[in-house]
Amino acid sequence: MFGWEFPPYQAGGLATATLGLVKGLLRQGIEVTLVVPFPVGHSELIGLRLVSTATRVTQLLRTRRVTALLGPYMTAQEYTVTHAQMVQGAATTGKSVYGRNIFEEVERFASIAAGIAREEPHNVIHAHDWITYAAAIEAQKISGKPLVAHIHATEYDRSGDHPNPEIYRREREGMHAADIVIANSHALRRLVTRHYGLPSEKIEVVHWGIEEHRPEYHLEPPRPFKQDEPVVLFLGRVTRQKGPDYFIEMARKVADFVPDARFVMAGSGDMLPQIIERTAELGLTEKVHFAGAVQGADVFKMFRMADVCVMPSVSEPFGLVALESLKSGTPVIIPKESGVAEALRNVFKVDFWDIDEMTNKVVGILRHRELYEELRERSLEEVSSPKLGLDEPAKRVKEVYERAIEMANDRILQEVAS
Amino acid sequence: MKNICMYFQVHQPYRLKRFRIFDIGNGTHYFDDEQNRAILRKVAHKCYLPTNQLLLDLIKRTEGRFKVAFSLSGALLKQLVAEAPEVLASFQELAATGSVEILGETYYHSLSAIGHKDEFIEQVDLHRGTIERLFGQRPRVFRNTELIYFDELAPLIADMGFKAILAEGADKVLQWRSPNYVYETTNASGLKLLLRNYRLSDDVGFRFSERNWEGWPVTADKYVNWVAASLGETVNLFMDYETFGEHQWAETGIFDFLRHFPFEAERRGLKFVNPSELAGRTPTGTLSFPTPTSWADVERDLSAWLGNRLQNAAHERLYKLRSAVMATGDQDLIERWRKLSTSDHFYYICTKWFADGDVHKYFNPYETPYDAFMAFMNVMQDLEQRVETRRGLVRETVGTRQSPSGLALVGAV
Repeated sequence: MFGWEFPPYQAGGLATATLGLVKGLLRQGIEVTLVVPFPVGHSELIGLRLVSTATRVTQLLRTRRVTALLGPYMTAQEYTVTHAQMVQGAATTGKSVYGRNIFEEVERFASIAAGIAREEPHNVIHAHDWITYAAAIEAQKISGKPLVAHIHATEYDRSGDHPNPEIYRREREGMHAADIVIANSHALRRLVTRHYGLPSEKIEVVHWGIEEHRPEYHLEPPRPFKQDEPVVLFLGRVTRQKGPDYFIEMARKVADFVPDARFVMAGSGDMLPQIIERTAELGLTEKVHFAGAVQGADVFKMFRMADVCVMPSVSEPFGLVALESLKSGTPVIIPKESGVAEALRNVFKVDFWDIDEMTNKVVGILRHRELYEELRERSLEEVSSPKLGLDEPAKRVKEVYERAIEMANDRILQEVAS
Repeated sequence: MKNICMYFQVHQPYRLKRFRIFDIGNGTHYFDDEQNRAILRKVAHKCYLPTNQLLLDLIKRTEGRFKVAFSLSGALLKQLVAEAPEVLASFQELAATGSVEILGETYYHSLSAIGHKDEFIEQVDLHRGTIERLFGQRPRVFRNTELIYFDELAPLIADMGFKAILAEGADKVLQWRSPNYVYETTNASGLKLLLRNYRLSDDVGFRFSERNWEGWPVTADKYVNWVAASLGETVNLFMDYETFGEHQWAETGIFDFLRHFPFEAERRGLKFVNPSELAGRTPTGTLSFPTPTSWADVERDLSAWLGNRLQNAAHERLYKLRSAVMATGDQDLIERWRKLSTSDHFYYICTKWFADGDVHKYFNPYETPYDAFMAFMNVMQDLEQRVETRRGLVRETVGTRQSPSGLALVGAV
């Protein structure tokens, strides 16, 4: 399995999703070798082998070939640091994965992948998003094993209607090279069919689940505000895709109805300066609080502190944050077109642009304690059902593997026959 | 089996708009007139008009021996008067045959039996007056909203002059007894209980088109066999009128079923009787309903309307406002308030089956029960503010005169 993010290297949902999937697959008795581009230690999970291309780079750096690739100035140490910064940088800005060197990164990841494919026994190659597709294709050239391309988000989700043509090309290449493509949602499947010319029967939809029990779901929340001041939360990258601008406009309207409401924006990204400026323009500086990027357990503290979590995402191919919020006992308002909206019923679903409707719903939750409690109880019940745990998605992915292996075998038989 | 008693419920609520927080205090209209009109027309076209015509034919062809009873809510009648007078006329034509009995109920198809005793009595009176005026007959048998019945209701109903009340033949009440007999209430002597045979009623109402049910397809011949085989005196078949053509589409053969039903029944010597005829029979015994029992869901209780904290909060808020609304003496406000008392508003807030995608969504205008709750609460707030304003005006102009009495006929058709 080729991944790009894995805790603690986390930019967004991909790390959590990958970890969740790996855990689920291990429970299904599948052994996983996860190849990632940053330095890793040993995994505590039984059945998971973590292989880092970064460590290999460190070893290979002694040879001239790779040093040349990376440039003469960079020592192994520097490189590792830079790389970690890059991965983490993605967490804070959401932008740096599109940095100048990203394609080089991807190429290098791919070049090492071939060697790994030779050494690591495997039956299926599973690749998460375009950044790992090149590596997966290289691996397939070596081992000839079936390829499953997993799509968490496409370039259209990240950039709207102006996709980076190089990223688009790579996404497309990976999807077409794959035996089976997995999409996070039906919405994503439709998008892929439309924009990437992939027949829909080649795409399997697997909704994400969430880890059933974690101590983080029950953390004591911080209490920075007065007891009776309700808290409305935005948690995510402050980028166009996540709709922070809609959140701020909504905050303005909510404040008219619930004057003591507090708004917390947890996240960082390229739109942050613009959002801060707009907050001042709207006279909300005393009500809106910027928490910066939050990681790990702090994420759950944020949910635990909030009365409602609002996701006005312009695009949300799945939206794992919604499940995390519900698990922490905080009702969510999610985008109508999100993947998670396909999987949940006891939540409010709104069009990201419908600021009035969002306001209406937030005010409803803040004003009526019964509504908050009923939503909280019912959604917690729903998110605790097996279909939203880790087993269900893993079972589905396992089925995909089995089918992919079958397809690859058939292919070999046909080649032999002809 | 000797007799068949059929009663059909006919009701449409005044559905609310998706009344938002911004609409409060802005003079926004509460009800979604357009949607209500559209649904009324659709149901009239698919069910009311064709079924009324069929029933009329059947009554004529059996020379009045085929009999049915209707309970028509005031909320429905008011909408028919305004939007579909031809449908009202067809009900009147049926009533004029002498084979059709009209039952009493609360005007607004409300939960006032639970919420407020005086309100309950006023709505029943209001409805009875309307039925007399429109159909020339005075209801003698009562059926409460969603067949909700409990012992305390009996004296109220008896005092109002009704001879019998309809109730669900729930297993928890009947235990070893059969619903196919006339019973008497425990605490109002002389008031009879007519119990729905839910198995046979639901065979038509719910299961008629269920292809994976062993009874499918239900032909009139087969069904009458079941009825005839049922032990007792009278089978009470109570169901929503929308069963015909709306819940069960014409394509399912429901109209053919109904067309043959009376003749198949007569062929086996079964007789059709009306509820008030049964009210004259000697009861087999008494039955106690210690807790409210309804015909809804498997629980047969109030949980479809008052089963979660949202529903309870909405219900409490509504009845808390009653005395203030009545005190305004403002007919428009009182009617608005009463339209809000319709049980459907609470049904839409039901969360118990929501996660499964449920049977409750029939004509439900909301995406979620939570949206239904918010619309209702926002409307309540608007109404509270209007009432407050109106009372302020009343105080200014005529002092503190308050006369809640004499308002019983407000909102009548």
